[in-house]
Amino acid sequence: MRLLRHDLHALTGAYALDAIDRSAERERFTRHMSGCQSCASEVREFREVGTALAFAAALEPPPAMRAEVLAAVARTRQVPPEVKTHARPKRTRTWVPWVPWLSGAIATAGIVIAVLFGFAQAHTQQELNQARSQNQSLAAIEARTMQELDQARNQNQLLAAIMAAPNVRVLSQRSTKGGVAIVLLASVRHQLIVTTSGLPPLPAGKVYQLWLIGPKKIVSAGLLPPARSGQTAPVVASGLVAGDKLGLTIEPAPGSKQPTMTPIIALPV
Amino acid sequence: MNPSDSDASRFRSTPTDRRGERDLDDLLVHVARGDQVAFEAIYDRLAGPVYGVVRRVLRDPSQSEEVAQEVLLEVWRTAARFDPAMGGAATWVLTIAHRRAIDRVRASTAAAEREQRNAEVHTPRDEVAEAVEASLDRERVRRCLDALTEIQRESITLAYYGGYSYRQVAGLLSVTLGAIKTRIRDGLIRMRDCLGVS
Repeated sequence: MRLLRHDLHALTGAYALDAIDRSAERERFTRHMSGCQSCASEVREFREVGTALAFAAALEPPPAMRAEVLAAVARTRQVPPEVKTHARPKRTRTWVPWVPWLSGAIATAGIVIAVLFGFAQAHTQQELNQARSQNQSLAAIEARTMQELDQARNQNQLLAAIMAAPNVRVLSQRSTKGGVAIVLLASVRHQLIVTTSGLPPLPAGKVYQLWLIGPKKIVSAGLLPPARSGQTAPVVASGLVAGDKLGLTIEPAPGSKQPTMTPIIALPV
Repeated sequence: MNPSDSDASRFRSTPTDRRGERDLDDLLVHVARGDQVAFEAIYDRLAGPVYGVVRRVLRDPSQSEEVAQEVLLEVWRTAARFDPAMGGAATWVLTIAHRRAIDRVRASTAAAEREQRNAEVHTPRDEVAEAVEASLDRERVRRCLDALTEIQRESITLAYYGGYSYRQVAGLLSVTLGAIKTRIRDGLIRMRDCLGVS
C-alpha cells in the first residue's frame, strides 16, 4: 500500500507532461491528487515548466491562421462560467418585528431579489444587508419564489435586462394604507420594476396607479395589475429622471392623467 | 506576419514574468466576457507558442495548424472556465495546446505515422538547438535543460516535445518504468528551480 502511494506520487511529472497514456492510471492519479495538496502544487509548477518549454518552441504560425481563428471566434458561442451553487444562508429564527409584514411582499419581490443575487455586483454594504435580511424571508417561501422567478425569466426578458443592469438597487416603502412596495431601481437604464404586496383591496372602479413625480411634472408610470394572493406582478416603469419620486395613488379606473390624491407611497428614487 | 521585435515582446510573457502573466490573466477575463479585441491580444501573444508546441509534437504542418486552431477556439469558447488559482493564463492555454496535440497523437492513425518517424527522432539536444534563435527565453530554457542529467533531459524532451508516454520513453531509453517516472519528476524539479517557477 505504501509502495503504491509512493508510486502514485512519483507520477506528478508524467502527469504534468500528459505522459500517462492509460486512462485508468490517469484517473487514479487524478483522484489521488484531489486529496494530495503537494501533488497538486507540484503538477501546477511542472505545468509552468511545460509553458516555458512551449515558449522555447514558439513558431510563427501560418499567416492565414489568424484571420481564420478570428472568423471562427466571431461565430462561436462561448460557454457560460460554471455556476457555483452557493450554500443558502442559514435561516435564522430571530425574526425582527417588521419581517412578518414584509415577508408577504417578498414572495413577489423574491422574483426581484433572487435574480438580483445572480446579477448585481455593485451593491453597497447597506443594500447587501437589506438583501440579506430579505433573503431570510425568501428562504421560507423558496418554492413559490423560484417558480415565479422562472416565470419572470421566461415571460419577460425586459425584467432580466433591467436586473442585469449595473448598480441595480433595491428600495422598499410601506404605504400609508398598509402593504408595501418593493422597487428595483436601474438608474443607468432610467427604469425601475415595482412589485407590491398586501395593499388593501380596492372597490370596483378603482385602480392603483404609479407615478414618477419630478420637481416640475408628474408622469403616470402605469397601473398596478390586479393583485393575486395580495401581490401584484412586476410593473416596469421607464423614463426615470434624477430627483424623481415613485408615487402610488388610488384613482378612478381606468386611471387619471394626474394624481387626484396625496400618494400613499412616495419613494425617492 | 510579425517582425522579430514583436516576437521578443511576445516571449516576454513567460511564466516567470509576473507582469506579463497578470496582463494575460486580465485579457482572459475580458475574453470570457466576449471581448474579441482582448482575444486578438491573446492570439498575438500565445499563437506562436501554441502552434510551436503542437507542431513539435505532431510534426505535420497542416495537422498542426488544424489542432492549433482548435486550441485557440477552445480558449475563446471556455475562457469563463479559466481559474487563476490553478495557474496563469499562459499555462492554462499551453496546457490545453499540449494535451490536444497529445490527444491527436494517441488517436490511432497519427500514432502509426509517427512510428515511421521513430527512426528519425532527433536527439533532444538537436530539437532544442533547432529552436534556439535569438530569444532569451529559449536560451534560458536551453541552459536549464543543459543542467540536467542526460537521462532527465531526454525523458522530459521526449515526453513533452516528442509526445511520448512515460512507458514509451522507458522503452526508448531502456530504463524501468519506476526509474523513468522518477527521472521525469526529478528533472522537472530541477527545471522548476532553474527557471525560477514559484
